Amino acid sequence: MKWTRQGKLVKAPIYGLMLVLLLVGSFVQMNQTYPFWRKNYMPKVTDLGQLTGEQLLFAFAGFREMIAGILWVRADSFFDNGDYDSILPIIRLVTYLDPKQIDVYATGMWHIAYNFTDQENRADRRNIPIAVAFGEEGARNNDYTYELFYETGWLWYHRIQDNFPMAVTWFEQAAERKDILPARHNLLSHAKLRAGDYKGALKTWYELLEAAEKEMERNKSQRSNYAQRDTVEGNLDNLLIRLTQRGYFARENGWYDQGNYDTKPPFDVRFSASVTVTESRVMLVEGTWNVFPVGTRVRMILRDADYPNAKAAGLDWEGGDANNFTAPAGLTYVQDELFVRNRRFRKAIDLSRDPTIYPFVKDKYILEFYYTPRVAPEHIKDKFGYNGEGMTDSNFLNTEIREGQRVIYWKTEVTRDQILRRGEYGMEGTIPVFKTPNYVAPRVRNPEDDLVSPGTRRVEG
Amino acid sequence: MNAVLSIARTTLGEAIRRRVLLVILLIALLLLVIAPGMNGLTARQSQTVLLSLILGVLQLSSAVIAIVLTVYMIPNEVERRTIYTILSKPVLRWQFLLGKYLGAVSALGLMIMLMTGTMIAVFAAFQGPNVETLASLARVAMMYFVQMCLLAAVAIFFSTFVQPVVNFFLSGGVYLVGTVFGSLFATIAESQQLPQLVRLAAQLVMLIVPNFGQYNVQNSVINSGAQIVGEGIYYTNLAVYGIVYISILLLGAMLIFDRREV
Amino acid sequence: MSLAIETIDLVKTYKHRGGASNTVVDNLNLQVESGEIFGFLGPNGAGKTTTIKMLLGIIGQTSGVANVLGREAGDIEIHKRISYLPEKPYYYEYMSGLELVIFYASLFGIRDNDRCKELLRRVNLANDMNRPLSTYSKGMQQRVGLAQSLINNPELLFLDEPTGGLDPIAHIEIRDLILQFREEGKTVFISSHELSDVERICDRVAIINKGQLVAQGRLTDLLAGGRVEVTAEGVSDAVSDSLRHENRIVSFKDGRLILDAPDSDDLNGMIDALRNGGAQVVSVIPRRKRLEDLFIEAVAEDDTAKGRQRGRMTDGNSDGTKSAEVEEVKTGEGDPS
Repeated sequence: MKWTRQGKLVKAPIYGLMLVLLLVGSFVQMNQTYPFWRKNYMPKVTDLGQLTGEQLLFAFAGFREMIAGILWVRADSFFDNGDYDSILPIIRLVTYLDPKQIDVYATGMWHIAYNFTDQENRADRRNIPIAVAFGEEGARNNDYTYELFYETGWLWYHRIQDNFPMAVTWFEQAAERKDILPARHNLLSHAKLRAGDYKGALKTWYELLEAAEKEMERNKSQRSNYAQRDTVEGNLDNLLIRLTQRGYFARENGWYDQGNYDTKPPFDVRFSASVTVTESRVMLVEGTWNVFPVGTRVRMILRDADYPNAKAAGLDWEGGDANNFTAPAGLTYVQDELFVRNRRFRKAIDLSRDPTIYPFVKDKYILEFYYTPRVAPEHIKDKFGYNGEGMTDSNFLNTEIREGQRVIYWKTEVTRDQILRRGEYGMEGTIPVFKTPNYVAPRVRNPEDDLVSPGTRRVEG
Repeated sequence: MNAVLSIARTTLGEAIRRRVLLVILLIALLLLVIAPGMNGLTARQSQTVLLSLILGVLQLSSAVIAIVLTVYMIPNEVERRTIYTILSKPVLRWQFLLGKYLGAVSALGLMIMLMTGTMIAVFAAFQGPNVETLASLARVAMMYFVQMCLLAAVAIFFSTFVQPVVNFFLSGGVYLVGTVFGSLFATIAESQQLPQLVRLAAQLVMLIVPNFGQYNVQNSVINSGAQIVGEGIYYTNLAVYGIVYISILLLGAMLIFDRREV
Repeated sequence: MSLAIETIDLVKTYKHRGGASNTVVDNLNLQVESGEIFGFLGPNGAGKTTTIKMLLGIIGQTSGVANVLGREAGDIEIHKRISYLPEKPYYYEYMSGLELVIFYASLFGIRDNDRCKELLRRVNLANDMNRPLSTYSKGMQQRVGLAQSLINNPELLFLDEPTGGLDPIAHIEIRDLILQFREEGKTVFISSHELSDVERICDRVAIINKGQLVAQGRLTDLLAGGRVEVTAEGVSDAVSDSLRHENRIVSFKDGRLILDAPDSDDLNGMIDALRNGGAQVVSVIPRRKRLEDLFIEAVAEDDTAKGRQRGRMTDGNSDGTKSAEVEEVKTGEGDPS
């Protein structure tokens, strides 16, 4: 084959060589480099349609990590200024650009779930499904580490407090990752207990104790290994005592009826409530709760009657759109915890200052009161048990809305006119009041007369 | 081959005497200014951000240098008429082109080495000398080098038939498409929404446009933690892929340049 | 004597997008003999540089034949035996003179630094060979260019405007060097519009205009046909009448007769006639033909005779879209400074 003729290259053999090389190159790319790159390095974008052109270009181009880094430094200054609204788009863009930035995911979830509150520090809980979806996305993109599984579990455990089996699922997934810190395992057991699975919680504590002792043997000089072992042991002891005193083992073995357990007999909490719409979007919530020790919080919810994914006393909390960080406009969801003092609760709720969080554009609303001992402090659970075994109410005990639990629940329907004091409720003397039939106004209406009792337990240390 | 090496050496000498060293100094200064500004971040996050900046600046400046260095290479020779003195010697055109390319590539290598050295120093100064991270930085820089060699080959290919300014945007465009296309295509293929014909066309483009995106291996270094198994083989394959595509581009450039009237 | 360069009906036509074309070199027939200094003359844009590029094989011809040292132009073997100094080259400025010459030597595979230094000494750059080229004057740059062009001891040198833009001393230095080349038996092909230099050193010249050859030959032949001016006092009418002849101009000024005659006429006979008629011869001034006259004559004649009809550039290129080729031609033609 002649490559040159009179100092000039000959076309045919060079075209041939180029073709052969092209085939070799394509082969290497298609069979070797590309699949590997795609598996290990390719930026993953969950929903292509949600991205703008520039975002797409950035997300796919090189330098994406650099842009992400610059943006994140910028976001940091917004945190300092408290300019929270400006941070959201940055968090979204940074995680599109570099979905491996687990700290940004973790910060973002926490930020969305905790930092957006109304004037009275109630969380805008419409955001929580977004935070959950964002955590799920982060965990999916970084499934080599426990961190975002743990963080998502934490949202269910601590922020949502309504679906502990979900927390268990996420903590279990976190526990499967090798890089999880030993102490982070403990929360799985706590979550199982709150989910009502005391056997699972016990099993986990035993396993953790075994693991902690092994680790202590392996590395005796590490102080934290001793601490972890002691923590696990202490938690296990406590749980065993509580389960015994509250009659769980007895129930399991069929002698609950014979013994004298703390949960016997069920105690009537004598719940009653009244909500008075004193002004447009302002209401006074009052009620009774016949439990003297401090530590009871009764949940109150006021939401659109047709709020998406709503269930009794809460939401589904899943199905958020992580591509859009704006809270769903036009929806109203108010959730408050009413603190009980001297067997009564009384709280003025002013929603008029946050019209964007509480737009009240729908016609019909649901007002709910709810109590479960699952999240109650231990001294209350000592009497009520994990599932409300030791609790009852002559009027509002409910065993249906939460499977396997005895909870207190009351709901009523409310209209927009009532909340906004419009129409027939706009006139003098037509103050809307929603109350349980058993509600009796207190004889003394001055809250300053209330006695505040100190806690019955002192915590040492 | 003597002639090729002589031309390469001259090209290298010329390139390094341009004000590129100044650019490198500026980059180092830039990083020194930025780096302390990240105190507010957590330790891990500030390392991530610093690494992403370092590598981003390295990649961006390498790409700009690779293009600028090559697009003017042949037009400059024509303008200075040195090309005539060289081509009137017993030097074939393909030898001239190859020499120019090798010179550009050596200059690029040298500059990337210097920049990487500077950045490793900056990183070590702010984050402490972590041998493992420093080694991965060097590894990423090496992949950038192969990527930039490929980019230089694209630019020299275009420089045989288009004007420098056009070439600047053309090569930059090919770089962008070559970076974006891999992931875009994969996402398109996954979404399954597009007709077969579109996907076939995309596959064809992917066959022809060199896949620059494959060389962006910085992510696992920036977000340390994800361990990737078999990176060594991958890097070797990438080098092979690069050399193959560079050869194709150079052969094409030689064919065109051989018949071009200068 | 054998021919160092021969072109037969050499044509270079550039085609433009739009279909128009532009003939830069038009049926050129050149013969350059070995061992001579050949001047290749023409106004700016006449096609000189294009012709040289074709002879060097840097560009190809549209049609015709171009032979250099007995082989087809462009043959890489020929490149070992020739060298080329382009018009006003800008070398790699960061290099020193010595580095530049070493670089060009390496293109031939020559690794002989002593030879490179020797060449620089020869062009009178012994003291400046280690300075960077950016500090060189134009004359020094031209001399270093000559040094690099001698590295392969070429049989044939192409020098494109070798004295362009140089001061008078540099002119003389370059001229002397070129004359030395002839003594060494080299053939030198000089393209220039600096007529005085060419006139002083060239053996033969060719003049082209608008791509076409208008004159070619030995300088002595081409410049033949000068005139002589005889001034005399006290010339009688009879004598002056006897001197009137075809091709002669007889005039009186201040009572003196001024006789302007071709130098091919019998000068002695004319002086005899004047003296015999009692006149006093005041001066005899031969007026030799200058290359400049020849050049202007040739170019002007060409322009008036056929220039307008043929045109250097056929119409159709007035739309402002210049192709790359046209740009190149312009570059090659250089500026006239």
